[in-house]
Amino acid sequence: MTEIGKNRILIPERIARGDMIRVQALVQHPMDTGFFRDANANLIPPYFINEVLVTYAGEQVAQFEWTSGISKDPMVSFELRADREGPLAFTWKDNKGGVYQGSVNIAFAAT
Amino acid sequence: MAITEPIRRRSFMQAIVLGGVALASEGLRGVSHRLLGAAPLTHPTPGDPEIPNEIVAKIIRDHFGDRPITHAHVSLDMPQVAEDGRAVPVIIESDLPMTAENYVKGVYLIVDHNPDPLVTAFHLTPSFGKVAIETRIKMKRTSWIRAILETSSGEVWADYAKVETSLNGCG
Repeated sequence: MTEIGKNRILIPERIARGDMIRVQALVQHPMDTGFFRDANANLIPPYFINEVLVTYAGEQVAQFEWTSGISKDPMVSFELRADREGPLAFTWKDNKGGVYQGSVNIAFAAT
Repeated sequence: MAITEPIRRRSFMQAIVLGGVALASEGLRGVSHRLLGAAPLTHPTPGDPEIPNEIVAKIIRDHFGDRPITHAHVSLDMPQVAEDGRAVPVIIESDLPMTAENYVKGVYLIVDHNPDPLVTAFHLTPSFGKVAIETRIKMKRTSWIRAILETSSGEVWADYAKVETSLNGCG
């Protein structure tokens, strides 16, 4: 069962200050292009995430512009330099005004 | 029969010649891909895309003006054949620095033959440490793909890949 906006953000279990960490963010969304038809031959209207904001310890570190050319249930992953502790937060916005948020806390392992 | 025979033979010869050319260029591409894996991304390779169509040319002009786009420092990793156009994996990597003084501020992904060719733009800051982005995109049909990176100092770098797909993922 799809729950639009449900998300997961994956980071390594153990992080040391200065590590380059792989961040993977997943969100459930149909990402409809507006070109496909349903079983009754009616066009399914476009419905997709068009903006993603990433903040790290309160500072915006990235903004992604997306279109319906991103696959259903979008996945994005990237490398981040973990040089401070704090929340890593994602905000996904769609073309119908939906706003979905998720965050994980980046904390350094005791040495 | 006397008239059609030579024509048939000619088109047969053309087919052989064209096939040979296709094989030769495939060979070159194979070599360049192997080199790309091992060497630093500083040399242009024969894997340049076709001339951009009107829409793609406008996207490039709107974002980068008439700045040169150099085929280096970027690696666009995609399958040569994508069985499902609804979910085609993309990995964009770069060896360009990500420091406060000079960093990659924009990563643009263009699929020439998609209805909306500029599939995504990633706007980055030096916090990223390096460009190593992975996602999944839709493709309508076989197309050249362009990964174009813009640095904070205004340089523009790119890599290209041709991906064959038969299942339309865009509608």
